[in-house]
Amino acid sequence: MLKDKLGEVIESSTTGFTAECYELYSLPPFGSLVKTADPPVEIYGVVCQAGTSSIEPGRRPIARGKDEESEAEIYSANPQLWKLLRSEFRVLVIGHKQDGTVYHYLPPKPARIHAFVNLCSPEEVKQFSRSFDFLDLLMNAGPQVPVEELVSATLRQMSTAQEDQRSFLVAAGKELTALLGGEFTRLKAILTRLK
Amino acid sequence: MSLDLSKVIDQITDMVTRLKTGRNERLERINSAVATLRNQSEGLDALKKKIALSRGKTTWLVAEPVEKLDIRHSLPPIPPDFTVLATDGSHIDVDRHHAAHCFLINIGAVALRYGSKPDAILENQPVMYSEDSDLMIASPDKLREVPIEGNLLGMKRSVEECKRLAEMAASIPVGSLALGIMDGTLILWNLEAYPEFVTETLLEKGYLVHLEEIRKLNADRKIALASYISFPRSTDVVNALRVALCPQEFVDSDKCPACATRECYGISGVRDRDLFAGILTPGERSALFISPSKIQRHYGKHLVHFFYLKLNEETARVEIPRWVAQDNERLELVHALLVDQCERGQGYPVALSEAHEKAVVTGADRENFWRLVDESLVEKHLPLAESEKSRSKRTRWL
Repeated sequence: MLKDKLGEVIESSTTGFTAECYELYSLPPFGSLVKTADPPVEIYGVVCQAGTSSIEPGRRPIARGKDEESEAEIYSANPQLWKLLRSEFRVLVIGHKQDGTVYHYLPPKPARIHAFVNLCSPEEVKQFSRSFDFLDLLMNAGPQVPVEELVSATLRQMSTAQEDQRSFLVAAGKELTALLGGEFTRLKAILTRLK
Repeated sequence: MSLDLSKVIDQITDMVTRLKTGRNERLERINSAVATLRNQSEGLDALKKKIALSRGKTTWLVAEPVEKLDIRHSLPPIPPDFTVLATDGSHIDVDRHHAAHCFLINIGAVALRYGSKPDAILENQPVMYSEDSDLMIASPDKLREVPIEGNLLGMKRSVEECKRLAEMAASIPVGSLALGIMDGTLILWNLEAYPEFVTETLLEKGYLVHLEEIRKLNADRKIALASYISFPRSTDVVNALRVALCPQEFVDSDKCPACATRECYGISGVRDRDLFAGILTPGERSALFISPSKIQRHYGKHLVHFFYLKLNEETARVEIPRWVAQDNERLELVHALLVDQCERGQGYPVALSEAHEKAVVTGADRENFWRLVDESLVEKHLPLAESEKSRSKRTRWL
């Protein structure tokens, strides 16, 4: 398996997609930039929700560790658990790339089911975050997503790929101030999470 | 119109009252059976002789004891590294109301490895049968044919479960320690109702061949085999006690109506599981017995033996072939690993319950299967003849 290959798309729409991890619990961090491809278009998105649950909706996990000393022992004593649980993450689409140009708006078509999802390299993150136009899509992520948490997590993740993290975050803060206008409480909520 | 439960509730209440009144009498019978088992455990040879003399003269099945009747085997140690294999199946039967004549068998197979390198394989393989040769069993002279459906399809499924188990057993590394488990009985006794050539096809050239494959794998690895029956209804051992209690030299069911003393009446109706629940403590297994079913004449070196296993939640019946019963190491492996599997599986062997989960075909799956078959026929412009009864069930009208 390729190093940065996280999983594949199992549900898809214009604004986002859900991917299942190949390995249980190998979830990408909240707010990280990931990509999938529908050649010739590459679709970019940020991880906005993640979780682990039973593969079958009717079978809920039960507590098993009463007599075990460590969590790892539960999995050794019940090896089937690795196959009966799955980790999934939800991605909010924030842009795409076609013919080498990055666009910070929605792609023409949604991701395909079973398309591979990869974590973006620091170079790709740098290229994508040259403009903050994607912030608008993030700010409108919808009621299912904790928007302030998502925006700040995304900017923090992106800053790690920059040579000058501080100037990147300062620039992002200025962009947010313009975007949020008089919404001081929301702006404060994001800025305090960028520190 | 759904079932009108308000019309059934009184009948349920009556049944519950009846069961409650009969409870004390049932407990007395169980106690009496337990006492009989203990009393009879000394004269084993005499009992075996009496059972042999009664063979074929009773209308009920009588187990043949192998060990002292009331012996209790405590839980053997559990090895550090082992694998548990299990298969289970489900099927979609032939539906004569549909245009296409076919059936489907879905086999769920599970391999769970415990110890230093824990791992799990959970898989299933649905196979559809639609060729004429798949749907019928023909006699060697081709003059007679028996369609595979209903009970016979159930037995065909057992053969496929055993085949898959043998394949899985062959794929585990040389030197491994493993237990293969199947659900239900190892005795395909339903075959007695069919002509001999059916038994030859399904049992001698099918089931027993796969059991033999598993046995032969023991040359370079240790594989025990068992089938697990939860909440068993059998009474073979209690019937052996009835033979013991009979005042005659041997039992002849034809003469029972004329019997005035009816010594055996005090324990009739007791199930083996109730008997052994009163004798064993959790983790222990009972003595070994040989199942008396007529079909066993075909089993040879796989002659089915059985014992009862007391678990925390229930007393289960475990069936094993002779080559496991006569090898103490493999027998102990069956005993230890089944108890361990039940502990890991909240009272039922976890490998079997996962194999069942992989095999299960729901009502919705059945509908989807037939819809897919019908749509595929339509796509190729084949006539979609279907019975009016089937159509009327799907398109309800007022």
